[in-house]
Amino acid sequence: MLRFIFRRLLLLIPVLIGVSIVAFLILHLAPGDPAQMMGGIEASEADLIMLRQKFGLDRPLPVQYFMFLKGMFTGELLSLRYESPVMEVIWPRLKNTLALASVSIVIAVLIGVTAGVLSAVKRKTWMDYTATVFALLGISMPVFWWGLLLMLLFSVKLMWLPSGGMGTPLHYILPSIVLGTASAGIIARMTRSSMLDVLRQDYITTATAKGLSRRLVVGRHALRNAMIPTVTVVGLQFGQLLAGAVLTETVFSWPGVGRLLVTSILARDYPVVQTSLVLIAAFFVLVNLAVDVLYAVLDPRVRYHG
Amino acid sequence: MSKKLAALLFFAFLLVFSAAPLLAADTTLTVGQGAEPVELDPQNITDNPSEEVCFQIYEGLVGFDVVDGKLEIAPRLADKWEVSADGKTWTFHLKKGVTFHSGAPFNAEAVKKNFDRLLSGKYKRSTLFSVFLSEVKVVDDQTVQFLLSMSFGPFLHTMSHTAGIIIDPTLIDANADVKNNPSGTGPFKFKSWQKGEKITLTAFENYREGKPKMETVIFMTIPDDNSRTMMLETGELDIAERIASFEVDRLKENKDIALTIQPGMRVMYMAMNNLDPILKDVKVRQAINYAVDRESICKNILKGFARTIDSPMAFAVNGYAPVKGYTYNPEKAKALLAEAGWKPAASGKVLEKDGKKLEIKLWSPNGRYPMDMKTSEAVQAFLNEVGIDAKLSTMDWAAFLAATSKKPEENNSQLFLMGWSPSTGDSDWVLRPLFHTKEWVPGGGNRSFYSNTEVDALIDLGMTENDPDKRKEAYKKAQELIVADAAWLTLFVLDNVNGRRSNVKGLVESPLELLFVKGVTKE
Repeated sequence: MLRFIFRRLLLLIPVLIGVSIVAFLILHLAPGDPAQMMGGIEASEADLIMLRQKFGLDRPLPVQYFMFLKGMFTGELLSLRYESPVMEVIWPRLKNTLALASVSIVIAVLIGVTAGVLSAVKRKTWMDYTATVFALLGISMPVFWWGLLLMLLFSVKLMWLPSGGMGTPLHYILPSIVLGTASAGIIARMTRSSMLDVLRQDYITTATAKGLSRRLVVGRHALRNAMIPTVTVVGLQFGQLLAGAVLTETVFSWPGVGRLLVTSILARDYPVVQTSLVLIAAFFVLVNLAVDVLYAVLDPRVRYHG
Repeated sequence: MSKKLAALLFFAFLLVFSAAPLLAADTTLTVGQGAEPVELDPQNITDNPSEEVCFQIYEGLVGFDVVDGKLEIAPRLADKWEVSADGKTWTFHLKKGVTFHSGAPFNAEAVKKNFDRLLSGKYKRSTLFSVFLSEVKVVDDQTVQFLLSMSFGPFLHTMSHTAGIIIDPTLIDANADVKNNPSGTGPFKFKSWQKGEKITLTAFENYREGKPKMETVIFMTIPDDNSRTMMLETGELDIAERIASFEVDRLKENKDIALTIQPGMRVMYMAMNNLDPILKDVKVRQAINYAVDRESICKNILKGFARTIDSPMAFAVNGYAPVKGYTYNPEKAKALLAEAGWKPAASGKVLEKDGKKLEIKLWSPNGRYPMDMKTSEAVQAFLNEVGIDAKLSTMDWAAFLAATSKKPEENNSQLFLMGWSPSTGDSDWVLRPLFHTKEWVPGGGNRSFYSNTEVDALIDLGMTENDPDKRKEAYKKAQELIVADAAWLTLFVLDNVNGRRSNVKGLVESPLELLFVKGVTKE
């Protein structure tokens, strides 16, 4: 198992180099002059030349790429927009997004798995239909609209919850519900269908036949197996939440990395965008690795060999 | 039982926490900005939210007072000043007994250190001053002289710019991280910055005009327009900047909220490439000006929060002159196009000349300015009415700037929507960068490749003349010539709309899209 994890971690290196090259090329191929974005519309030619020299933007592309790699390892890579080390720019915001995404995924799993199990067990009853409708609504509702609706109700009308910023646990409630809604829907659908598959298996019939209570059959025998595909989805969703939090962050003024990423792309802040993409990619890979490890925990038949 | 208990606990939790964070103390002022400040080093900033925060922390030798929506030069850290007869030496007499937040004294040496730093050429705003400023000389502890390389008409306006405000010299000596740990002589001290979220300032107890009433001022970043408005309604914000036009009617009905609507300094215009084979003909440019109903765009698209203007500079800019422009007249537009050789085609609405259709590229930013894309769509429709097939396309701001700042031989722009607000509040900072022949892109900011030797001479005169009346006269003539040449399709001046809780008094709102909170009280 340890060897498996180690090998997967080694694989991170080529993945991240690939991501960094692709991110670098896409950004540099897009039209737009970072010096102009730094200097603003009022900048003179002399300002632009000064800025290009200061940040090495006048150097050939391969040189710029190696400067980027070197800067990442030495921690000296500067954001063009903030003129501060990129990690000082990214980390405080990444931390906020990680916190929000973690709360969201917990909410999504709690709601999604409960709804999924209930609608599988009570298949074709009003409970199933209600859960299905809500799951589909959750998946298809635009984040902006849903966020503003909740804000209108809980912040403006009822004055129960703050509508923006962070600081207290209460600030987490609305954004994490909004961010987790779509994932909850997807998890519910996945849990329902895999649960239905499992409930049709012979061993479930056996368990029922030997007189186990319905609760024990569903809770212990069915759920554990049904969770295997769900865990994959949860892992993927967590990655998605991290990268896709930008809309929620904008609506709820959450100082996260999604908003930073969009601002940095618009400002052509190459170092921040490239580093954020590499970090998000690394995170995605690590979450997937965690999912694979979880398989082995859930399913004793799965064993990894080095 | 346990379910009931959980539900009870949840509601108890809500009750305990709900009201608390929504209501801030009476001595705390929370301002919602639409974008996050980038940094707080005044010599390096180029964005409006950063400028606004800087102006609460630092002061310059002079500054702008807002009088009837216009800017007037007023003393700040200098009591009085005089200029030599040749206009090349400005002497400032500094206020006594002023200290920086660190306790360091404010004096002539501090001023010199600041401008030496700026003139080093390492900061983004260096060239704003290096064009005219050679040296700053300490005469005595309370007197400082600015030696100019040429007489410079907009000198005091430029001194009132963010780049001219005075940083604590102890920071400069220590080569400290000014952008993240600012210190000045202003009414508020920097306390903390949660990146992406908020900047907290506290009242400066030794402020030269007395300690401000607000103990704490928080600048929060609230990027979404709807959220900013809602947070004002809930009271989480005391002030919300840049209220979207569609929210105004609703907010007007709320007696807890007061709105200020005043014309800003940003003129929106369709720049025209004056070198383009089609647009180099002045008749075509004039026809475009006649073809577009600007009143209708202001009324229907900007919901009345914009005012049509003929001059390329806003009403509040020093040197603005009302000039006669073009009123909506599609028939006249068609006649001018016919004079230019563009005649109706055998089929279709689009005019033709020598078998070539009258097609013009129209580039628009999307989301950069209020209703920018909708404005461009309206212009497209109006042009279509007179037989011009405007092909509208949009690009992100960086790509837009790159495409419109190429040198003449590579530049294939034709008609493109832009906005300009002169950060010094003076005509020079509209006319020189945008209309002087020497300022053609990529070297300057003249993206229309407009060129008129007479206008160049008037701009030069206005720049070097110190007599305000002579400057005004020169700028008036320049504005008339530019409008007669139809260099742009000038559209409108945007209104600044800010909202505040009704109990917030004493807020100063500058047409430069800046708020000054030092005199604010909450009743």
